[in-house]
Amino acid sequence: MPNILKSVAVAILFATASGLNAQPSPDAVDLSSFPAKAIDDVVVPVPSEVFLVLDKLGSPNWRGEMRESLGRQTGNRAQAALLLGTVIAEGFVAVEAEDPEKVKDIGRRVLSLSKAINVEKAVLERSKSIIDKADVKDWKAVRKEFDGALQDVKGAMIELGDGDLAQLVSVGGWIRGTEVLTSIVRKSYTADGAELLHQPALVNFFSKKLESMSNRRLADNDLVIRIRKMLTSIRPLIGDAEGSPIPVENVKKIHQLTRDLVISITSQEA
Amino acid sequence: MNKLLPVLLLVLGLSTVFAYVDDALSFAQEAALPYVKKGFSVREDAWGGDLGVKEQQAMQAQLFKGNEYWFCLGTDVKGAVLTVNIYDSKGKLVNVETTRNGRLSAVRVVPTKTGSYFAIVTVVKSPQERTGWALVYAYK
Repeated sequence: MPNILKSVAVAILFATASGLNAQPSPDAVDLSSFPAKAIDDVVVPVPSEVFLVLDKLGSPNWRGEMRESLGRQTGNRAQAALLLGTVIAEGFVAVEAEDPEKVKDIGRRVLSLSKAINVEKAVLERSKSIIDKADVKDWKAVRKEFDGALQDVKGAMIELGDGDLAQLVSVGGWIRGTEVLTSIVRKSYTADGAELLHQPALVNFFSKKLESMSNRRLADNDLVIRIRKMLTSIRPLIGDAEGSPIPVENVKKIHQLTRDLVISITSQEA
Repeated sequence: MNKLLPVLLLVLGLSTVFAYVDDALSFAQEAALPYVKKGFSVREDAWGGDLGVKEQQAMQAQLFKGNEYWFCLGTDVKGAVLTVNIYDSKGKLVNVETTRNGRLSAVRVVPTKTGSYFAIVTVVKSPQERTGWALVYAYK
């Protein structure tokens, strides 16, 4: 059950520290009562959680959002992990577009990229399942398999002591997911669509993780440095208060920032 | 060997914890089953751990206005009573509906704003000193 290991570890470290003597009021709670580190970790949403809302707000042209090329791997482990994240995110886009051939192509690519970072075994079954379920157009099941592949890859990396690399897979997926989200919202702006970008906890979470990488080679990687800068640039653009409007100019800026990074991740010679 | 001992103890301790969190996770996933039938997708990611009686654990999640969520909690301890409540970033309770059935409990949330939310798990009572728990969420 690798997907739960990280969460368990966090819980083990902080559960005893978070013990409170009194029950909180059921209607309100003082969040500052909890040790900061206990609530620092954020479950990173999969792109389909956001895409689902976009589907409810309108009829996005998902096929138009798909990338023709999934990018190329350069042999650099940081780039491979980031690329894997973007490819899995692309899988969620292809599911929305209901494109079985693209989904199958992505399923195979997930496997080859996993091999490059020594976690092929963890996603072998997922990859097969993605292809099988795409063949019968069971889109809900394919979506679940992509989610599972993401967790399995990260779990396997953590087991191998590559927690930093696992974060890069999440970050890569988030960047590509955000690029697609902003692409759709900028084309057909609504305040509700733009509000989906209000993700300060996630941006802070990724920033902290990238700033505290123990692997210096990864921390000093050019792409990682660029992502840290991008997160710093995005932070003031996503709204201070919940529900505060995010203007279309900000959506466009975030789109440009994430698009540039996706281009670098998918084609850079490291 | 002296240097290895803490590592071994840690590994042995974690193995025990993972075993009962695995059980608790099965119950959490069982708690989510009725909602899968209603079109919800259950996330593969999960939280888990163990708590003493009256202890609490907070977890942070990014939720999106426009979606509906069920947070499903399971425990491996028969007779234990655990609760899960969801609060917004200001600490205000946002539960819309709650259900409880033995080792399973669940809470429905319909966010009115996109942003950070906090799931707080509490062990209200338990026949054991430490109670394993696991939490998953489903969205639609």
